Amino acid sequence: MKQRLTYILKDASTFDPSQLKVTKDSIEVTGLDAAKEQHLTFGFDELPPKIWRVLKQCHELHIRWAAPVPYNAISPFLSRVSSGLHVFFTPRRETPANLLCPMLRNFDETLKCESPEKTFVPQRVLSERFSTSSSFSYYTPTKSLDSLESYIFVQFCDILDLHCQEDVYQLGSARYVDIDFDVISNTLIIRAYWEPSHKPGGWTEITRLQKGSTLEVGVLNNEKPDEPEELKLGGFLTVVGSDSKPKATLFSFPARYHPLPNVSSTREIEYKVAFRQPTGMHPIMEINLEPKSLLAPSESCALHTYLTLPSYIFIDKYQFNDDLFLASQNLRRLHSINGETDLEAPDWVIDKWGSNALFELALPSTPAELSARWTVTIPLHLRYLKPAHNSSGIDAVRVPWPAVFWACEAEEGLKMSTSPFDRVNLGYDSLFGPKTMFYPIPPGTAGWWNPLVETLSVPVLDLDRSSWVEFGTIAAISLGTLWICWKLFAAVMGGDKGKASRGKKRQ
Amino acid sequence: MASAITQYLSSPRVVFPAAVLLRAALLVYGTFQDAHSPVKYTDIDYFVFTDAARYVSRGQSPYQRDTYRYTPILAWLLLPTAWGGWWFSFGKVLFALGDIVAGWLTILILRNHYGMPMARAVRFSCIWLLNPMVATISTRGSSEGLLGVIVLALLWAVLEQRIMLAGVLLGFGVHFKIYPFIYATSIIWWLDAARLGLPTTHSTQSPIEKLINHLNQRRIDLGAISLITFLVLNIAMHHIYGSEYLRHSWLHHFTRLDHRHNFSPYNIQLYLNSSPAATSSLHLESLAFIPQLFLSAIAIPLALAKKDLGATMLAQTFAFVTFNKVCTSQYFLWYLVFLPFYLPNSSLLSKPWLGMSALVLWVAGQAFWLQQGYRLEMLGLSSFVPWLWLSSILFFLINCWILGIVISDVASSHVSPSQREMKVEEVG
Repeated sequence: MKQRLTYILKDASTFDPSQLKVTKDSIEVTGLDAAKEQHLTFGFDELPPKIWRVLKQCHELHIRWAAPVPYNAISPFLSRVSSGLHVFFTPRRETPANLLCPMLRNFDETLKCESPEKTFVPQRVLSERFSTSSSFSYYTPTKSLDSLESYIFVQFCDILDLHCQEDVYQLGSARYVDIDFDVISNTLIIRAYWEPSHKPGGWTEITRLQKGSTLEVGVLNNEKPDEPEELKLGGFLTVVGSDSKPKATLFSFPARYHPLPNVSSTREIEYKVAFRQPTGMHPIMEINLEPKSLLAPSESCALHTYLTLPSYIFIDKYQFNDDLFLASQNLRRLHSINGETDLEAPDWVIDKWGSNALFELALPSTPAELSARWTVTIPLHLRYLKPAHNSSGIDAVRVPWPAVFWACEAEEGLKMSTSPFDRVNLGYDSLFGPKTMFYPIPPGTAGWWNPLVETLSVPVLDLDRSSWVEFGTIAAISLGTLWICWKLFAAVMGGDKGKASRGKKRQ
Repeated sequence: MASAITQYLSSPRVVFPAAVLLRAALLVYGTFQDAHSPVKYTDIDYFVFTDAARYVSRGQSPYQRDTYRYTPILAWLLLPTAWGGWWFSFGKVLFALGDIVAGWLTILILRNHYGMPMARAVRFSCIWLLNPMVATISTRGSSEGLLGVIVLALLWAVLEQRIMLAGVLLGFGVHFKIYPFIYATSIIWWLDAARLGLPTTHSTQSPIEKLINHLNQRRIDLGAISLITFLVLNIAMHHIYGSEYLRHSWLHHFTRLDHRHNFSPYNIQLYLNSSPAATSSLHLESLAFIPQLFLSAIAIPLALAKKDLGATMLAQTFAFVTFNKVCTSQYFLWYLVFLPFYLPNSSLLSKPWLGMSALVLWVAGQAFWLQQGYRLEMLGLSSFVPWLWLSSILFFLINCWILGIVISDVASSHVSPSQREMKVEEVG
């Protein structure tokens, strides 16, 4: 196993080298106010059979989980996905991946996943050369990693191994967790990110070098980059076991994700998402953007939003053919829609997990509009849900906030993958060319209690109150049928009578 | 004042230009609204048709467009809409022209076969020609108006005894929208020996002779021609578009779930039983076609067709729509087109309070349902039970009551004078 820990200091001026203590087989940090990334690499033979049996069915597997709460993302960990569990997957040609869904159920017992063939959605790739993207995608709005934590506890931690338990517990508190596997490298990589001030008083912890593994720790901070498409980090690197003390370092690398320039506080650029009330069966999603987030980082940029929609909610792509309609929603165009887009089916007949949509957003055209908040609306539609007991006729569904970002043309794209912190396979990135830089806009931090998932009330048929529907319907149809039959019978038998009485009237 | 209006509405020179003007105005207004408002005047279905026509113009299948469930002929007809610019409205103009032709056919039938003077015939054609609902639906680009012209042409051809034409129209109508097959029974029943000036059945004949007598040449011709037309069209479409044609134009209509709320009394039952929550193993709604087809295709034609074919077709269509598993307001146009043949001799006109009550109840039933639909779709309230269910059942019962009146009226009406005259002529 290879372990890499990266602490990115929030404020380099507060750092004192005494906060770092290196021994032969451990490193201790004290009170570090920093974001942290843990990067674990496992060789195939280091994995327990339960895991490699699943991986043997995959050509490529990328799992992305993001917490439902807003968090502070610090360069170079800026990229974001909608909260929940995303899976990007390429099967091996000869084997059906029948173990993948059962494995995913360890994240969330209730998730809808029958098999990759039935439930996953083939990915659309705009640029064929962008070979890093996988061929299928999956999503479910899993809120926490609690279920995964207890699975790992039970399956992989020795009951007396407190370090293992603590590590797993910490994993559960990460803001995002990535799990990557591919056949070519034949390694499993787990990456987890914690925001600064995750722990009061900063990070105070000892990390030990385990037998047969390597441990590399960086305590770094962002420096002003020399090139616009690069990031620059300075600070200390320590290879535990071979370095007796931290080594000073300064390095630059081309990066795919960049922070929006000229922003003093993320508050200035946060977006918020809400649904217009009442939501009904045709909810309208509102994305509220701060004026500063509307300033393009450079001329080649366009503002986008990427929606992740579970099967019960969908987009009618035909609505977005009309320029006037698009303009009225402050949208420019529907760039791509992929997945289950049936306009008529109820949720219970949909096998696929749902759909993704990428929109380009319109920008304010007048200076007056530029100084105010800008609201983009996206009309959505709900499918009918299963009738339910004890629901008082209302069911609840969860819709994650979409990701919002600027996408810009980059001069040099192919070198981005050389970045030690490069993160790909986020869904939307495969819809752009390889020479694209992203400037993510952070979702609003109205408070930790304000999750990045909206809950919608969906009216459903209340089974507790509809036991008489079948009888009532049959009774009404029978009544109507008999009434008409009676009229027809009377018509055939008494037709002449009618004629006679009518004749009389005329006289 | 009132009499002046009546006079105006009695003159084809006023009514036809007015009907054309009404549609032209709506077309221009619709184009204006579409160009300047994000809320479109044009019906969503029209975008389906025109998208399908665009696929056809590129040599592709119209079924590439999601929710295109119609005959490819419709997309072919609308091919000019793919030329861009003003041609986009070509289909709407075609549908509106269909309306006008249907109105003209109404007058033709009323005059030649119901013995109605021109002025009165024109007045009754206004129910269709100057009906704002009809004009709006066709100028918004819904193809229901086109269907009106097909079924009226069918009625006219039958009454004129142009059996060849009638057979082709019937076959084409069924290919176009399935439901006109119900008219086959009433037309065939109406084409009896007496009507054709052949010797009538004698009581001394054996049942087999009677049956052979029923199978007169015209009936056989009509059946054969309509069947051949229908088969040729379907085989041709299947040849061109393959299983896609069968799947979207035919199988879809038999396998659709119809779970979304609509006017049909079966609606909530279908939502319940199409879902995994279904507890009933009987699935009685799958038998819904029995009362529907029994009434619209068998009982009503047999009881009424010989009295008055036009009014019988109204009763049949009314029964078909009322008892259907899915029902939206566009379906009401299917029977509205026959109203001018029934209304003149109806108790709804001769007893104004009855007519007014029927109209008010029919509208109120829809309004009550629409309010529940609004509470569900827009406000997100769970109005399925009891209110949405109750409103659809209530609307169903109102429709049954009205249908009962129609049946009694048609049964007690005389065979229309001209139809009798014609019989006499032919016998003579």
